[in-house]
Amino acid sequence: MRFKLFLALTLFCANASAAEPAEDKVELPIPSSSAQRLYSKAKADIVQLRSLLKNGRTQSSVGSGFLIGNSNLAVTNYHVMSQIALEPDIYVGEYVDTYGKRGTVELLAVDVLHDLAVVRIDRKGGGFFNVPDKLPTLVQGQYLYSLGNPLDLGFAISEGAYNGIISRSFYDQLMFTGPINAGMSGGPSVTVDGQVAGVNVSKRLDGELVSFLVPVRYVRDLLKKVAAQKEVPKDFKLVVGKQLQEHQATMMARLEKTPLTFKELKPYRVPVWESDQVRCWGRANGKQSKSYSYDQVSCAMESALYVSNQTQTGHISIEHKLLQSIDLGDLRFAALASRSFQNQSMGGHKDTRYTAPQCTEQFVTNGKLPMRAVLCVRAYRKFPELYDFTLLTASTDSGRMSLQTRVDTSGVTYENGLRLARIFLEQASREVQP
Amino acid sequence: MKAPFYVEVLTRSGEVRHRQRVDALPIRIGQGYDNDYILDDPHTSAHHVVIDRNEAGGLDVLDLGSRNGVVHKGKRSERLTIDGNTVFRLGHTNLRVRSADFSVADEMRDTTFHRWEGWPPALAGLVLLALLSLETTWLTDTDKTETVRYVTAMVGMLVAGLVWSGGWTLANRIFAGQTRFGRHLFIAASGMVVIEVVSLLLSLAGYAFSLETLTRFGGPVMIAITAGMVFFHLVTISPNNGRRYAIISVLLMLLGSALTLTFNYQNRGMLAEEPYMSELFAPSLHLTADHPIDEFLAEAGKLKAGIDEERSRVLSDEGESEDDEFD
Repeated sequence: MRFKLFLALTLFCANASAAEPAEDKVELPIPSSSAQRLYSKAKADIVQLRSLLKNGRTQSSVGSGFLIGNSNLAVTNYHVMSQIALEPDIYVGEYVDTYGKRGTVELLAVDVLHDLAVVRIDRKGGGFFNVPDKLPTLVQGQYLYSLGNPLDLGFAISEGAYNGIISRSFYDQLMFTGPINAGMSGGPSVTVDGQVAGVNVSKRLDGELVSFLVPVRYVRDLLKKVAAQKEVPKDFKLVVGKQLQEHQATMMARLEKTPLTFKELKPYRVPVWESDQVRCWGRANGKQSKSYSYDQVSCAMESALYVSNQTQTGHISIEHKLLQSIDLGDLRFAALASRSFQNQSMGGHKDTRYTAPQCTEQFVTNGKLPMRAVLCVRAYRKFPELYDFTLLTASTDSGRMSLQTRVDTSGVTYENGLRLARIFLEQASREVQP
Repeated sequence: MKAPFYVEVLTRSGEVRHRQRVDALPIRIGQGYDNDYILDDPHTSAHHVVIDRNEAGGLDVLDLGSRNGVVHKGKRSERLTIDGNTVFRLGHTNLRVRSADFSVADEMRDTTFHRWEGWPPALAGLVLLALLSLETTWLTDTDKTETVRYVTAMVGMLVAGLVWSGGWTLANRIFAGQTRFGRHLFIAASGMVVIEVVSLLLSLAGYAFSLETLTRFGGPVMIAITAGMVFFHLVTISPNNGRRYAIISVLLMLLGSALTLTFNYQNRGMLAEEPYMSELFAPSLHLTADHPIDEFLAEAGKLKAGIDEERSRVLSDEGESEDDEFD
């Protein structure tokens, strides 16, 4: 799946030790480049955030963060803090600043949808990073400077260009053409005059210097929420669960607004969604030596919500494949179609994140196409009223052709899961032969 | 009781290992060379017992003061009255004494087809195995036909069949003194063919009548067929113990099925082999009615209660801090 190519920029279980501060005997020239100027001004206000195992206090993941104004509030990514949010019994947060000072971290608020979190630490910022109501407008090509602690090696600044808002992910992200590495997650990206443009969040593993930032306006919104918040939520699982509910509602609304596109897998017509967020890819076997042909259309949402290092959710993927016999008889084709329909993974029963999947199956028809349909559902254990749905169908109208569809929807309510399943069950059809 | 008498040494399972004729009573038995029947058993004394007629006209075994005595049905006795069916033990030796007028059982009906021995069943078995391997390879062969794939599959199948029946032949030789390799090979091949045919029929029936259970519990059915094969192998070794072997086979089947079901339950969280029926056949083989989408989704809606119940149960039983895997 395409979204796996994104690397959330938290560094897990790093075994490299922090780099020793270099003792430079040579007198340095006066800072001249913008990066040098920026770093020397900003360094007092950037921190490394670690999530430690309570037991043994060894670090389990590290990211970066930055202090807002003169307050003791620091902004980072949700995914840097996810272990502390979801498993406060096991993990505890710690910060290290550029002077090596350590201290405790208290999680105040999370925004799973935009991947942001606000924490309180036991020191105050120097006032370098500010998130005013009126935010800077960025121009494509403009230089941005990204700060953080890459790979737990030490604090660093890197330079790149702002390249617009991308709509591939579900919520707006800024494209930053510059190097961001694991461990820089949650660090700020600033303009040359020190205005915060966004928060480092991820990069594409299949590209070069294709990195993404969370736009600063979401930081502003979250900080306002923190200011209005009377008390710190006791159980962040509930908060995360609520936000996941919000996300699935938005996702459903957006999907239902997008008209279905019909792809031709002749002689069948299959429904997909194709939009900025849901991209489709095709594949065919095309091998001459085969005795059957194979065509596939797969569509998947380009992004998924990061919940924890093992769970991504709020995602939909659609796969239609058509097997057609070239010179296989009924029995051999049946064996081929059965093998293709077999052993589809629905998730195990020992998973601590989900319940065991439960399935229902029938021969069904939507009036246009008879099908064998299987629907399997599992629930999220940590979050109420969220389910993963897997719909499998195989056409049963021909002995020499098999249209097989798999639709995976993750992190939706039961009702929405059934609604999505209905769309695919009702819309598949076979054209009248010309 | 009419002379001559026969002293028979039996195996633990009751078969005659050795038989000696004694013309007159009394019969003296022991390790010593002055006995009528000499025991090669260090756990018996030089003059262990003497067998003689008693007042009722039957035979008595009289202990001559040996250390290990005469044991019948686990009990030691000084004097034991015996008939032609009494098996008694001296030391480690099981003995039976029969007189010339002992009435034997009726002649058994010979159900063995004696022409079906040796090469004919062996060849038939080889042909069946070869055909079976061709059929399975052909069924799943979706590339252009390559002879080497069929030959490889055939060799594999033949070797498997030969190894399996070779094992039974060895057992046959050890326990019954003859090999009957052809028979065993034929049984093995037939069993494999039956397994293939039955699994195809189960798939077909499951698809045709929408009986998903048939395809999900193929394992125990295959084990039952294998148990049947074992039964025929055992009967080939020893044709007279049919009932005992039937019981053994049924026990094997139950044990095997229990193991498979346990395996499924441990590994998949359910007794079935797969969560849904994956078999697909031509439309003409689909004999039940198609359900409307509404009905299917209503069925799916009913799953919710069970899933929610599982969610709450596991959370309260095991606590929530179990999510401790790292990658």
